[in-house]
Amino acid sequence: MVTQLKTDILVIGGGIAGAFAAYKARQSGARVLLVDRSYFGRSGCSALASGVYPSYMPGDSVDDWIKGLGAGPLVNQALLVKSLPVMYEHLMTMDRWGVKWLKEGREIVRLGAPGRTFKNGAWMAEGGPQMMMAVRAGVMESGVEVLNRVAVTQLLTSDGKLPTEGRVVGAVGFHVRSGEIYAIQAKATVMCTGPYKFPYPWPGSTLGYMPVDLSGDGIAMMLSAGAQLSRLELGGINLNPDNLLCAPGLESLMPSGAKFVDKNGRRFLEDYDPKRMEMTSRALLYFAIAHQKELGNIPSMDLREITPERMELLRRVIPIVISSYEGLGLDVTKESVPYSYQVAGTAGIFGAGARVTESGNTTIPGLFAGGTCTDLAYLPGGHLPFCSVTGHWAGDTAGAYVAKAELTPLLPRQLEQAVQAIKAPLERRDGPAYGPVHRRLGELMMQKVGLVLHAQRLQEALSELLDLRENEISRLEARDHHELAKVWGLMHYTQVLEATLRAYLYRTESRVAFIREDFPIIDNVNWVKMVIVQRQGAALKLWDEPLPESFHLIPVRPTQNLHLVFRRKEPSHAPR
Amino acid sequence: MPRVEVNKTACTGCGVCVETCPTDVLRLDPENKAIMAYAEDCQGCFVCQWDCSYEAIRVRIR
Repeated sequence: MVTQLKTDILVIGGGIAGAFAAYKARQSGARVLLVDRSYFGRSGCSALASGVYPSYMPGDSVDDWIKGLGAGPLVNQALLVKSLPVMYEHLMTMDRWGVKWLKEGREIVRLGAPGRTFKNGAWMAEGGPQMMMAVRAGVMESGVEVLNRVAVTQLLTSDGKLPTEGRVVGAVGFHVRSGEIYAIQAKATVMCTGPYKFPYPWPGSTLGYMPVDLSGDGIAMMLSAGAQLSRLELGGINLNPDNLLCAPGLESLMPSGAKFVDKNGRRFLEDYDPKRMEMTSRALLYFAIAHQKELGNIPSMDLREITPERMELLRRVIPIVISSYEGLGLDVTKESVPYSYQVAGTAGIFGAGARVTESGNTTIPGLFAGGTCTDLAYLPGGHLPFCSVTGHWAGDTAGAYVAKAELTPLLPRQLEQAVQAIKAPLERRDGPAYGPVHRRLGELMMQKVGLVLHAQRLQEALSELLDLRENEISRLEARDHHELAKVWGLMHYTQVLEATLRAYLYRTESRVAFIREDFPIIDNVNWVKMVIVQRQGAALKLWDEPLPESFHLIPVRPTQNLHLVFRRKEPSHAPR
Repeated sequence: MPRVEVNKTACTGCGVCVETCPTDVLRLDPENKAIMAYAEDCQGCFVCQWDCSYEAIRVRIR
């Protein structure tokens, strides 16, 4: 039994990008349906935000913003500038919706955020959970319809093919509790499913942190449909406290006086950015911590200098982080919090995914995308604003598109195949179970893909991944619909991971947190380029394209320098 | 691994935690009390504890 729904605009994903995409699409007068695998307002990254919406406000120096963000040669700096006033508009919209910002009187208080030389962060007075529930209410008030707990598995196309030579005409998915299958016909589909990382990591693994279910479903579906992806190799590393799944909360902890120290209590950021120290750019901060971990210096976060008053504030602003510390029994007034880094995902430094125009057009007609499932989002410490803005633009564009588009009938054969594919793991009787296969894949990532990459290890990882996918993951059994969503997540993750490993191999240089032992040069002569991945038939095709000159407000110098990792084996101030 | 502890006396079976759990961990049991149906997927985000109007839930990180 398949429930068929029709809408003008289908938005997939209910984080801040999906929320603003749906809201803006609705303002065009179109009928909008937002589908969320979890619960809109509680799902994804935004509800677990690090307490700060680093927003431009009128009067800020644009120059400060560009310099402060440390926007390097691979960033569309012009787009960054264009997004600044929109961030402020969103801040005000969310204020109207009832998001509780930290205020003095009626004015939003701005405190610091890492990577900025000025105070630019609007702090969430009751954290991400309150912010997203208020956003949910505001978006639903505008008339957006919402379907919760439906995991979308596949895009549907006008020619019935994947990859398509036509356009996207809707999507199919299932309810993760009842198993009811939904076929949604839409004039336009907007993908806002966020970044990806290894799904359901275990505490203490070097694989990721909450939200634990970021399996890259939307990126995988766009890849299957034939959309071009880019920046996958630059997704970067993540940080989080050892043995905890909570996010780091750096945006509010760093400006509050938290410090990173090594096993001897030394503030190692002296070696990387002695001027800004912990307030250095997010990219450099991530890299420095990962580097110290590699050197065996056991980086940890020292919160002892945070005043009791500020700690009380942090308890409200980043409630999940502080509650997690306390839940683990960490007394942060006496001991520091050990930190790890994670690899093989895009939830770190840069957004990566669908190649989109500034307006949110993917390379397939009828398919739009915003937020961190695209190559637009520039993340260091600015995840939320860039996601809300790029979601907004994609929603606007979809709204204009549907004014001229018609609903296209879903092709029965493609729909039937999609329905069969959804059910297959439930009907298998001789396939492997999810748990052990998931663990094997995680261990493969931990062993073969680390901070420092090498072609030989990457080839081994790719070969084992393809073997695991063909012989195990494609045959997984699911015990019920809840587990079916996890099986689909793992299938989608392995598709995106294959594309990522191939992009890692393709970029033969080092840059920020993308570090190739066999190509240690930061190469601004040959590699100010984007690497594109596209499915063509059964194979993935990769090529590179130069970045348009219009991206660069800060001229790119044609330098070739050895990456910091390879300049010395030990920190220059190592204890003697 | 994180886990959710439910005080069955305080739980009224209102289902708010089941509705909003980000990772779909919770269900109501036959007695209409919240239970961890998928304990292995709990991320320890505390949302259920804060959403509960009856103080029936405590999230344990270890």
